[in-house]
Order: sequence, then structure tokens, then C-alpha cells
Amino acid sequence: MGNEAIARGALEAGICFAAAYPGTPSTEIMEALAAVAKDAGIYVEWSTNEKVAFEAAYAAAMSYVKSLTTMKHVGVNVAADILMSSAYAGVNAGFVVVSADDPGQHSSQNEQDNRWYGMHAHIPVVEPASPRDAYRLIKAAYMLSEKYKHPVLFRSTTRISHTRQPVTFEEDIPVEKKCKGKFDRDIERWVLVPAHGRKQKKRMMEVWRRVAEEEGVEPFIKIINPGMKKAIIAGGIAYSHVMEALEVLGKKDEYTVVKVSLPVPLPYKPILKVLKESQEILVVEELDPVLEMQVKKLAYENGVELKIHGKDYVPINGELDLDSVARSILSFEGREPVMPWKPLEPLHLEPPVPARPPVMCAGCPHRNTYYIIKTAANKAGLKDPIFTGDIGCYTLGYEPPFYTQMTSLEMGGSIGVAHGLSKVVDEPVIAVIGDSTFYHAGLPPSVNIIYNKGHAVILVLDNQYTAMTGHQPHPGTGLTAMGEPAVRVPIEKLLETMGYNTYVINPMNVKESINIVAEALKKYKEGEQVAIVSRMKCALQAVRKARKEGIKLPVYHIVEDKCTGCMVCVKLLACPAIVVPKGAKKPKILPELCVGCGLCAQVCPFKAIEVFKEGSPNWLEAWK
Amino acid sequence: MARYNILVTGVGGQGLLTLGRVVGNAAILAGIDATIAETHGLSQRGGSLIVQIRLGDGESPLIPRGAADLIIGMEVLETARRIVYANKNTRIAMNKFLWPPPLTDYPDLDQVISRIKETGVKLYMIDANKLSEEVVGSVISANMVMLGFAYAVDDGLKKLFEKEHFLKAMERVFRGKAVELNKKAFEKGYEEGLKQV
Repeated sequence: MGNEAIARGALEAGICFAAAYPGTPSTEIMEALAAVAKDAGIYVEWSTNEKVAFEAAYAAAMSYVKSLTTMKHVGVNVAADILMSSAYAGVNAGFVVVSADDPGQHSSQNEQDNRWYGMHAHIPVVEPASPRDAYRLIKAAYMLSEKYKHPVLFRSTTRISHTRQPVTFEEDIPVEKKCKGKFDRDIERWVLVPAHGRKQKKRMMEVWRRVAEEEGVEPFIKIINPGMKKAIIAGGIAYSHVMEALEVLGKKDEYTVVKVSLPVPLPYKPILKVLKESQEILVVEELDPVLEMQVKKLAYENGVELKIHGKDYVPINGELDLDSVARSILSFEGREPVMPWKPLEPLHLEPPVPARPPVMCAGCPHRNTYYIIKTAANKAGLKDPIFTGDIGCYTLGYEPPFYTQMTSLEMGGSIGVAHGLSKVVDEPVIAVIGDSTFYHAGLPPSVNIIYNKGHAVILVLDNQYTAMTGHQPHPGTGLTAMGEPAVRVPIEKLLETMGYNTYVINPMNVKESINIVAEALKKYKEGEQVAIVSRMKCALQAVRKARKEGIKLPVYHIVEDKCTGCMVCVKLLACPAIVVPKGAKKPKILPELCVGCGLCAQVCPFKAIEVFKEGSPNWLEAWK
Repeated sequence: MARYNILVTGVGGQGLLTLGRVVGNAAILAGIDATIAETHGLSQRGGSLIVQIRLGDGESPLIPRGAADLIIGMEVLETARRIVYANKNTRIAMNKFLWPPPLTDYPDLDQVISRIKETGVKLYMIDANKLSEEVVGSVISANMVMLGFAYAVDDGLKKLFEKEHFLKAMERVFRGKAVELNKKAFEKGYEEGLKQV
């Protein structure tokens, strides 16, 4: 996998320190490193957020220890403050920041193009075209960082990070690594007061100039088939699409292709040579015209007259693929984009194939909590609450039948937005946030509500892991990234200390939880500050533990005679294990999917849902 | 040489990524270059999922619509959804398992099958969930049943791989008891497939 290739390359480059906060599509880089950390003799941590991870890894590189930090594209927004400063102060050892972008938004709130961050911060950007390329280029990125004593941004994308490809290792992981650092008390460098910052900026701009001047060489810029009248300049994965598209279209010999692996700042010398030799240029890149703008500037400044095309033919939205790139090339040539592949028409089905958005898993504790909070709000007479939301599996609560996520903008936003809403609207406001997200960005806005006398309930869904990205441990888990025991930082203690009346529920006990939450919401109505922590382990982890320890979980079924077909279980819970067979009047439970959480049995008004296969006597252990 | 394109489609949790990894390891053993594009994160949670396997020289990881040589469908509605990846020469190996998304209305199994057949593609079907239960006691190895089945019915795969490549690949992907169980599941699917060609 591309992410594993990046991890391996970084190890070969000699890193001894890595810190990150999980985020799709970046997560597996740090997971791969954590899995071998002890054997490879390096330090790996899951930090509380991207800014904190960046600071930790940057500190290592300040102190002559090669380091890595990785994050998803929007994670760079969280780390942007220190990112900017790191470019001013520079590093004493190789330091690479991996930004895994998500063109096409497979698992993100936007598809921002983080090559701009390089431009914005004056940090060179290295961008691979494939997983294999990523393996080699991450090492080149470390060389660049060491050469200029400057941070380097390594931009991957979903289709690099999450594509598997055979990769042949070219070298061993160094046994001798520099892991012990040395801090230079270089005040003028590390203390960016204005007078120092002005001096550092000159250093930074000199690095910037030199990279553009000197790095127009392989592996950063590669020219294929030079001297043609038509040239394609392609960056990142677009290069892989271009090469195959030219092959498929039988046009390989007609084009000069420039592979750009250092898009920012674009090393101008080889590019200018191609501009002078060509008559027409097509720039192919995913998302924004970062290369195109630089190429056009270069032509203009040097008085080279030729046609430069880019986003007039290449889509600016979503990810590129072989098909869209082949079409762009044909359009650029003024031809009808007729493709060699002839797809079938979509099937005419009645009703059509329904959409299948992701759903909360069978047994997911969020389902319980959402049922509980809505029922308790009714019971407490809390009318039309606004549920502000956040980033995690629980975001799926925006869907029917829950409607318990009415905003989801960025990490920690549920609480900050709830505060502002509570100042300007009359409805009650409930901020719903996950445990990992709470540690990440939920603390400052929680303090803000108390300090500035806002009035919103904070509901923390604590499933004890950073679940959506694959169950990484966090400060509430009791484990470190390297599998060592860690102190737990209880969320309820933090909230209590801030000044919230804090309630902890186990949402598996539905009735009891409804009573506790209703009481809490009544207090909120009376003007008190209230927070609720709903703690139950992620169902996927419970199932995993059960399988590992040979614990049998109970399986429920619907007793045909008792079921009236009221569909309450179906309509209130939307559990993937409960289905209504085509044409049937009563639902049934798919035994292979049921994990025995028992929520449906507690919700059924006719007590028609019963245990059908008993679990082991200790089955509850699996959920602990 | 044109690359050989396999689209694996199904629902998050059905073992699509594992199927991709087994094919990837088989490709390494057979000396074939490959890219396998996966989808992770939120889309794994019971959502619609595809894995795109491309065999042969080249690095562009996404299959153009109409360019799939083989579609392995782990679920019926998902196979129907991705039919545009097929052309009239595509082979489709489909698990006869229809898993409706919660709270939706959906076309029935017979209708989907007859519409797929009307397109002229070669459609092969088995109940991989049932066969997996027979062989390993749960549906967990339905993915390997489907892989064995697809290998038996698809000439393209047979040209590229020996059966041994897949069996050896499973030793690299699975651990402990799972190795033998998954091999059995693969063999079961393979046997059923041979009956249909």
C-alpha cells in the first residue's frame, strides 16, 4: 500500500521519531511505523491532534533527529500555525510533513489542494505518481530537507496512499540512527519575535530561490521523449494517467512528457527549455492549477510565446483517472473524445438500485446513544433541540432516522458552533462529539462555553478509540501507539473541572440511561451547564475481542407470533442486521450480522425480540 | 499490452480489501505487475465499496467505465450499481446474495438477474455465503469462495495465474487456522465454478 511504501522509505531515510493524528487517507503510514517501531528502534506516537504531532516531530528535527509527521489534508489546517513558523526557523535534521489529500472526497469534508500550503508557507512540495514512486520520493524529500535545512511537504493523495503495488526495497533500514538530540540555544532562530522573524524570512526566501534554481533534476523533474512540438506537463498521479492514456491512444511518440515531482516551487530551468522547444503545452494536474499558473508565469516572464492549456481541458473538480485524462488529451487536440472502452448502459430497474451510504454498524453504541438522547429529550420536555455535530463515525447521525447531526464542519466544531448558536437562537442546543475529537479540539470550546456563559449540552460519545480511522488508541484508551500501557485521561473529570454537571452513562443500559439523561436535560433547562459522557466500546472492537478470546455473543431473533409488524425497530434504529424481506410484513434479524447488543429488544413495544442463541456466560466482558 | 481489469464490488465488511490483497500477492508470485485501488475510512462502514485491480504494466490505478474484463460481485445490488464498468464481453461472477440497505425500497433478485442477462454479458452465480457457511461455519470466507469461483469461470484469470498462486498468496495474507479454511473456501468456489463452464 502507498502508505506502507511511504513508511518504509522514511525508515530507510533514517527517521527516529514520528508523530501523527490519524486521518484518512494518511493513517496507515503511522500504523505501519508503529507496528515495527520497537524492532526498528524508533519512537512513534499518536498525538492528540495534528498541531501537537507537528510540534513534537518538529522539535526532534530542531534537535538533529530526523523526523516525520503525517496527516490528512485538513489536518494541515490544524497544524498551519506551526507549519508557517517552521519554514522561518528551519530544521537541523531531515523533517518531512506528509499531507495525504483526498481528491474526490472519499472520506473528507473538502478536497483542498495542499500544494498551496507549500506556496503559502515557502515549503517545497514533493509529490509522487504511484506507491512505488512514493517509496523513492520520500527518501528524496529527506535529502532535500537535509540539504536546505528546511521542512518539506510530501503530498500524497487517496489513490497513492490507498493503492497497493509491488515495491522492491532498494536498501536496508539503517541500524545506526541518530535518536538522541541536542538542543542549540539559538535564540535568534527559535524565538520568532518580529526582529528575529525578519532575519529568518531572508534565509527562507533564499532557500526558496535556490530550490527553484537548482532542483530541476531527477527525480524531481524528468523529461520523457524530449523535443516534440506538443508537450504535456503532469504532476503527481496525473503523470501515471497521462502515460497510460498516451499508450492507449497510440500517441506516445507524439508528445514530450514532463513528470513533475516537485511542483512547488517549480524548478524552472528544464521547464523553460521544454516551453522553448514546444508549440503547444497541456498541463495535467489534479484539482487546482498550481503547476499551470507557474508554467504560464514562466512563459510570460521569459517572453516565450506558445499556447499553454490546462484547466480549460482538464477537470478541476474531483479526482482524475485514465478516462478523464484521455478525454482531456483528445479535447486538447481538437478531437471528439471517443474512448476505446464501451460501457454498458445503467440497468433499468424498478425501483432503481437504492443508494447505500455508509451506516452505523450493527451493535454500534452511537445508535444506542442517539436513541437515548432523543427519547430523553422528549421526556425532559426539551423542544426541537439543535444537534451540532462533528467528525467521526457518529457523523452518520445526520441520516434518518436519527437527525442528531445538523452541522459537521471540522474537528471540534460541534462545541464551538453550539456556543455561538446558544447566544443567538431560542432552541436548546446539544453538541455531539466523539471521544478522540474531544481530545483533539473539544477542550478549548468547552472552556469557552463556561467562560462566556454560553448554554449548550455537551454530549461526548466515548467508544474508547479513534474508531473511524481504524481504532487507533487515544488518551482515553489506556494504550500508546507502540502498545504500551498509558494513563487514561477521563473526559468526565476534564468537564467537571471546567464547571459542567457531568453525567456518565452506559448506553447498553437503555432505560437507566434515558432516566439519567432526562434528569441531566432537566437541569440544563433550568439553566445549569451540563455535559454527558456516553461510554461503550466500539462494536467492531467488541466483536474482535469476542473472536480472539472465544467469547460467544448472543444473537437475537424476532418472534413471528409476537411481532405485530409495527416496524418500530426498523424505523427507529436503522440497524443493518434488521431487514424487511421483499414483500414481507414483518422484519427479521440476519443472525450473521447480529452482535447481540440487545437495543432492538429493549425498544420493541411488544417484547417480540428475544435471544435466540445464548452468548457465553461472560459475553459482556467483550464489551468492556 | 492492455492491462487486465478486475472490479470487485460489494458492501463494506464483506472482505473486498482482503480479496484484493490475495490477488495482489498472487500477482507478485506470478511475476505480474499490479495496482489495487482500495477505499477506506467512512466508506467501510456498511457502505457501497469497490476495489479496482489492474494487472500488467502501468501505474494508473482506476478502471475506466466499460473497461472491466471481470467483475466480482459480492452482493447483487452493488453488482447492478457498477454495471457501467462492464462492456458486452465482460464476465461477471456474482454472489447470489441481496443485502438491502436499511429503510429502502429495492428491486428483487430475479429482476436484477434478468436485466443483467439481457445486456449480453456472461453472468455466473453462486451462493457464496451459503458455501462459506458450509465450509468454514460462517459467511466470513465468502470472499475466497467468490475468488475461487471467478478463477474457474474466467479465462482471463486462468491465462494469468496458476491456481497455486492464489493458494500460496493466502499463506501470505492469512494467519493460523484461517489459511486452511480460506483455501478450502477457495477450492469450494473453484469446484462450483467448474460445474458452470
